[in-house]
Order: sequence, then structure tokens, then C-alpha cells
Amino acid sequence: MGTMGTRCDRRGPMGGRAARRAALVALLLMAWTLGSTLGTTPGGSAARALPVLQLERARAGYVPTLDGSEPIFILALGSDARPGEEIDGQRADSIHLIAINPAKHRATIVGFPRDAWVAIPGYGTNKINAAMTAGGPDLVVATVESLMGVTIDYWALTWFDGFRAMIDDIGGLRVDVPFDVVYAYARAEIPAGPQTLSGKDALAFARARHALPAGDFGRSENQGLLLVSALAQFRAEFAKDPSRLLDWVGAGLRNMRTDVPLDQLLRLAFTASTLNPRKVTNIVLPGGTGMAGGTSVVNLDQAALQAIAADLRDDGLLRKGTIPPSPNASLLGG
Amino acid sequence: MTPAGRYPLGALSDTRTHPPVRAARAERTRRRKPLGLVVIPIVLALAGVGLVLLLARGDGGGIPIIGGGRSEEVPPFDFVVRKARAVPTAEGADAKALAKEAEAVADELTPILDELFTTAFLDPAAWRDGDYEAVWARFSDDARAAAEESVETLTLGRAAGETFDAVTPKRGTLGFEVLFDPDGDPISAVASFSFSATGVRTDGTATRILSSGQLFFGNPGHWRITAFEVERADREARVPASPTPSAT
Repeated sequence: MGTMGTRCDRRGPMGGRAARRAALVALLLMAWTLGSTLGTTPGGSAARALPVLQLERARAGYVPTLDGSEPIFILALGSDARPGEEIDGQRADSIHLIAINPAKHRATIVGFPRDAWVAIPGYGTNKINAAMTAGGPDLVVATVESLMGVTIDYWALTWFDGFRAMIDDIGGLRVDVPFDVVYAYARAEIPAGPQTLSGKDALAFARARHALPAGDFGRSENQGLLLVSALAQFRAEFAKDPSRLLDWVGAGLRNMRTDVPLDQLLRLAFTASTLNPRKVTNIVLPGGTGMAGGTSVVNLDQAALQAIAADLRDDGLLRKGTIPPSPNASLLGG
Repeated sequence: MTPAGRYPLGALSDTRTHPPVRAARAERTRRRKPLGLVVIPIVLALAGVGLVLLLARGDGGGIPIIGGGRSEEVPPFDFVVRKARAVPTAEGADAKALAKEAEAVADELTPILDELFTTAFLDPAAWRDGDYEAVWARFSDDARAAAEESVETLTLGRAAGETFDAVTPKRGTLGFEVLFDPDGDPISAVASFSFSATGVRTDGTATRILSSGQLFFGNPGHWRITAFEVERADREARVPASPTPSAT
């Protein structure tokens, strides 16, 4: 009390009021300043909620795929040209029609036995592999189009060395080999089971037919299996590192010929990244061996051919009832 | 005049010497002076502090006079290029020549990416209003819609202005793969990037902004992003010691 009295005495009544006013002004000024500084006015802070901050992982992606309304048909060809030979002037001993349904992220691979006895537009009837000798990839395209009743969008052609280099350029191909494969010609023995095949071994796997009970039919299915394996590997690598797409496109273009324009090829590659390899049906056109003018040929099962062609045309996919049995069924245990 | 007897004699006597009025005023004045000297400087000091804080904050889009706070300054940012690799499509292509070409493409694309990430994450004029038009303009017609839908992942976000006070870059690295056509002309390029920045939120806390992924470029000469795969992995961070933007 004594202290208070002393202080009051010292300031006097007028000094006390001025100090109180000044303090009030200072407080108001401080409140206004702090309010402005914090971006709020007193009483308004509750209305200002901070948005929830993104602290979880988030991803954004876009790939320019091909239009999904129509199936895309691509003819994959393998020339039996040896080093130094004209690649597209030799027989096409590997012929596969790839049908892609972008909307359903599914595809079908149809293998053609190389000795299939078919009509070659402008060249009468001959083994299908002779079409390339007569007119290059374009004539093989016309032959398959005539046989299947589809319009083929693009073709791609590789050869032994090109195929081997392509596989090596992507660092090998992961394949779940379904049964032991022996290819004496290249002294290759590939055991069953998942493994990464070098270009040399992948080529051996693609060429081996003598040890297969269905010969070229079984080989054609194995070639389709390599395509499916490549798709699975590409997809996995793309998911991990999308820039791998350029390596795959580069490896492909360095080792094959194609009529796919580069920008379309990139789109095709992006489209492939969306395909589910488990949803790819791999078949070989069924048929039986016969003779034509002293030559051993394959007579395609016309009923099966018509059913497969009709089924494939609309959406590029096959119904279960249309899928023929595997030529390697006896080796697969099925 | 004064009724006698009501007051003690002399109390109101005219005989008083009249010091009292002036003297009392003077006395009061003497007594008030020290108070004014104390209070007014306090008020002025408080006002000064308030003014400093207000100017430093630059609220509402004002230009800050003193560094820090809600700066409108665009912090400088440049990606560091780690590699540029050529992917040939022709057998027997001149690897050395293509490697040089790949570096030239990297030199062409790097400033585009510097600008892209500056607009997407660092430029207050863009993120304050959530206006990333300059970012979307870098995408191809096909990719643009998907990019705009991913605004929260590809940029600081539409509501960044309500969330952040300042964003400063930490680090940015780039790697390029360039695909060449058989004639040796670039046709496509992939930029693999890693970008980080620190955002100071309006509540005073901070977040580390982490963005990484791949951007596919097409249309050489007028490079546009044709495809993208981008991941954001933001996390809480310490508030940086200095709000001064630092270049990478």
C-alpha cells in the first residue's frame, strides 16, 4: 500500500490518466499490428482453416496410347536371311499377327505355320513364307489380310542377327521356359524354368523345332511366348523406369525394319505399357501336314481358320471356344 | 464578500500572495514531464515494431520492404544436369556425334525445365493464386488435360496461397535420354528429374516438397511434354533458419 501511495503521489492524478490512455492506445496499436501481421483480425482467426497438406505419396501419370475404339493389327515377321543376304528378299519363317485391343488392355498373337499352303495375291497358291521372297513384307501383309479378312496396320521384320542383338541390347529376356528345349544346331540346351535368356539362347529357343512333337507348330507357339515375355518385361521395366521405353524402341529400331512411323512407334510402345501380359492369348493356326506337287506343306484347318478370323476381326480378341489347343500340349502336360 | 465565519480566517484572505495557480501548474507540468517521456516513446516504439512487422510480411500481395515473410520474390533455381545419353535407332550410328547432340538437347531442355519448376513450385505470383497456365502450356494437347487434372501433384497446388508463406528451392537434378531418328535428328527425350524445396506454411511449420519422375518430350524445336510419370513424397521439415532464397 505504501508503495502504491508513493507512486500515485509521484505521478499525480493527471499523469495516471495519460499513462492509462497511452497504454490503451499502445495495446490497440499492438493488437491491430499483430492482427495485420498474422493476416487475421481478432475474432476472425477461427474462420481461417489451413487446408490439409499433402504429405502422403501421390503420383500422376499420362501416356499417349493409341485410340481404343478399333483393334490394331501388326504383322511380326522373322526373315531367315543369313549374314550378307537381303533381309526382305528371303523367306519369312516366322509369321505372327498381333492384334491389340487398347480399350481392354488385351491382345492376341496368332502364329502361322511357315509351310501353310495359302493363296498369295497375284502369285497363285504357295507356302506362306514364300510371299516375302516374291514381294517383301508388303506381300506377306496382303496374304495374311486376304486369309484373315483383317486390315493390317503395320509390319515389323527382324532377322537372326537382328533378333539376337535386340535381345542383348535390352539386357536379355526374362522367360519362363515351359519345358527343356534343345537346339542342337546352335548347341543350345535351355532348361525349363524362369530365366534370363541371352540373345543367343533366345534365338535358339525361337528356332528349335526338331525336338518338339508338333515341329514348326510348337516352334511358332514358342516364338509367341517370347513376344509375351518381352511384353511382360517391357511393362515391368517401364513401371520401374519409364525412360526404359526409349531403350526398347532404340533396340527395336536398330535391329528390325518396320513401316511404323517413329511417332506412332512411340505411341505403340506406350500402348504396350498398358497391356496386361496375362491377358494375351498366344495361339497357332491349327492344320495338318500334306503334300502339294511333291512338296511337304501344311493344310490349315479351314473351319478353325474361319472361326478364328471371324472372332478376331471385330475386337482383336478370341473367345475361349475359338482358341485351339496348344501344339506343345503334350510337353506342357495339358 | 465572503460570509464571515464560514471559513477560517485567512483561508481565503486576499492577503495571500498568489503564487499558487502558476506555481501549481508549473509543479504539475514538472510532474507530468517524466510520464510523457516514458509513455510516448513506448507507443512510438510499439508502432514502429508493428510497422516493421507489417512491412516485412507483405500481406495481401504487398511488396515486402524487409526480407522474409510472404515474399513475392521469385527465388532463383537451376537444375543440375547429371547426364545426357543418346539412344540411336540406326545400326552403326556415330556414337560420339550423337552424344554431343544429346548434350545439345539437354542444353535446350534444361532452361525449359528450370522455368517449368519455378512456375510450378517457386514463383509466388503463380502459386499464390494457383495459376499454373504457364506450366500447362508446356504440355502437348493430348497430355494437357491429364496434367491439369494432376495439378496437386505436378505443382504446389491450387490452394498453395492459403497454405504457404514462402517456398525456397533445395535441389534439382536432371538426367536425359534422347532418342534419335536414323538420320541423327532428335525425336524424343526423357528428362528424369528430382526436385526438392522447402515450403514454410502460414502456421509457421514447414514441409519438404519432393517431386521426382520422368517427363517425355516430343515435338523437337517446340518441345512439349507428351507423357509423364511423376511422384510426390512431401514430408514434414524443419523451418529453415533463413527465409532468404538460395539457389541450387
